[in-house]
Amino acid sequence: MLKKHIALIAFWILFMLPGPAAAKNTEDSLLQIPFQQIAEQARNHQVRWYMFGGWAHVNAWVDTYVAGEMKKRYDIDLVRVPMDAGIFINKLLNEKAAGKKTGNIDLLWINGENFKNAKEAGLLFGPFAQQLPNIRKYVDPESMAHDFGYPVEGYEAPYGRAQFVFEYDTAAVSAPPQTITGLNEWIRANPGSFTYPQPPDFTGSAFIRQLFYAVTGGHEQYLSGWDPDLFARKAPLLWNWLNAIEPFLWQKGQTYPKDSAFLDTLFSRGEVAFGMSYHPSHAQNKILEGSYPKSVRTFVMKDGSIYNTHFTAIPFNAPNKAGAMVLADFLISMDAQLSKYHPDKWGDFPALDLKRLNPKERKQFQSVDLGPATLGSDTLNPVAVPEIPSDYLEALEQGWKEHVLDN
Amino acid sequence: MSWTIKHCLRLSPLILPYLVLFCGGVFLTVCQSFGILTPLPHEGGALDAYAKLLADPAFFASFFFSLGVAAVSALLAVITGTILAYRVWQLPRQLATASLVYKIPLILPHISVAFVILIFWSPSGIVASVAHWLGVIQTLHDFPNLLYSGWGIGMILAYTLKGTPFSMLLVMALLFRFDVRQIQTATMLGASGLRIFFTIVLPRLAPALHTGFIILFLYSFGAFDIPYVLSESRPGMLSIHVYNLYFKHDLARRPEAMAILVIMFCFAVLFIIAYSKIVNRLESGVRKL
Repeated sequence: MLKKHIALIAFWILFMLPGPAAAKNTEDSLLQIPFQQIAEQARNHQVRWYMFGGWAHVNAWVDTYVAGEMKKRYDIDLVRVPMDAGIFINKLLNEKAAGKKTGNIDLLWINGENFKNAKEAGLLFGPFAQQLPNIRKYVDPESMAHDFGYPVEGYEAPYGRAQFVFEYDTAAVSAPPQTITGLNEWIRANPGSFTYPQPPDFTGSAFIRQLFYAVTGGHEQYLSGWDPDLFARKAPLLWNWLNAIEPFLWQKGQTYPKDSAFLDTLFSRGEVAFGMSYHPSHAQNKILEGSYPKSVRTFVMKDGSIYNTHFTAIPFNAPNKAGAMVLADFLISMDAQLSKYHPDKWGDFPALDLKRLNPKERKQFQSVDLGPATLGSDTLNPVAVPEIPSDYLEALEQGWKEHVLDN
Repeated sequence: MSWTIKHCLRLSPLILPYLVLFCGGVFLTVCQSFGILTPLPHEGGALDAYAKLLADPAFFASFFFSLGVAAVSALLAVITGTILAYRVWQLPRQLATASLVYKIPLILPHISVAFVILIFWSPSGIVASVAHWLGVIQTLHDFPNLLYSGWGIGMILAYTLKGTPFSMLLVMALLFRFDVRQIQTATMLGASGLRIFFTIVLPRLAPALHTGFIILFLYSFGAFDIPYVLSESRPGMLSIHVYNLYFKHDLARRPEAMAILVIMFCFAVLFIIAYSKIVNRLESGVRKL
């Protein structure tokens, strides 16, 4: 009896002791060994991808195309878990505080201030990006050096590109404004027909950043990093602009839509004249889905339209880091990027550098029919302006509450 | 000694989760509000978050607005619940089973009630569409602005709808044990229906009314689901403000989010103590039947 107990205890001690140390070694080696071996390690395992789950068409693309290809190519079972970035960051923070060495998230869809938060709190594994062959082959290193002005340092792999667009219904508005000044005049001439999601909503926050560039003389001045004096000097221009139009907004500016989904609903019901999205193909997707009328089109302001890159990253306690790397690599592959670009799949813009493709591959991207509601890169690229460093983003969101909402 | 240990062990399934989850949670919240054990190292003093909140008029606006919404909706729910329960109790026996319908909103989640209110009362909702179809209003813009009036009417409606059957349930439990002969005697002596209700029935229901009010009031004060769907941007409900600070802002602002939670928790505890003290004092003057 006693012997049995001792044996059991010894078993548990043996079982528990070498675990973390061994795991640590293999993990670090993932950052050195050839990708072939990583893919071999990942074979026949499960990869759990935590990502924003609010878009049915994106979920369908992941569940069918990505999951199917991962199974076929690498024998990996992909499990998609829908969760907002802010929530999984907090989950990881709690796990880190509790000393949980093996979590249940393998890959994250992340960018911007969530990435900054995660990296600063030591929640990420890496740098892994340069280990991925498709990144070395297709991605312009410059395009993945910064995420909202915060250095990426290989802790994220790019997988898509987004740019801010406005949406309108050609049946209701004949000529949408072309500039921010024009928008201002339009709002005053059509009281109650314009609004934007309340920051810190992702889309609403992007809208005020874009305005910030436009009403304070361009984006260049902010890109060199956080400058409190500059912000203190420039921000009042934005607050004045927003406060001046507030009485002419939907519900007289008494309230703002809580998130972009709310604005989409208002727009589709005709309560407001303009929708907005950080995804150029959003309107086309909504038309295909049947929730927007076929007459909806998108437009951009000549003053500039913000673009960003979205990324994937691997948590410090991911149980299957090799699998996560294989998935991150597949997502930036030529095949996945092309499939993702089709508007009936997702319509997300490629994060790879088209110049690095051979002419035949480039032709495949150029011949994708984006649909009548999505603007082509010939319209989008000339007005594209980069994202602001994330310190400004936080200051703008906080300032908006203080100077516009609570004013 | 061994007696207490034995009892503690027996109670452990109850005490352990309480200690670990509830007390642990409160402890961590208080710590983080002082900038201790935060995900990012906290720069500045322990009381910075509180100082910042207490200097911010918007915080007080939110606080009192949340309080107002909670108080009005809890009061409305308790009053309607009591009147309805009393009427249902007076129904003939055959109808009593049918009146169980009142329990349906009890099983509806709060979030569904919020959507019901949204779908019916928004400026392009069902009521507005019907009014437009009947020609009562010319365009959808003419519909009175119930949900976005700045008074939290949408939330008050939702909480009242959800709270009424709950207070009915509490009141019914007392009514079913009520001695009908007291009412019969009063009627024979010529008391009016109103007089009977206020002097005989209501004092007996007081415990249920107080409990109902405290539970509904504190729940609506801190709850998140209904405000998430129905609240307006200004003045915002506290719970939404905490949610935004916790999930959507820089991690450096974690102490602020936690400080709001601590203030809300302290308020709830103080409220319960003050409320029961006042009720006790009031009731000690009342002759017990």
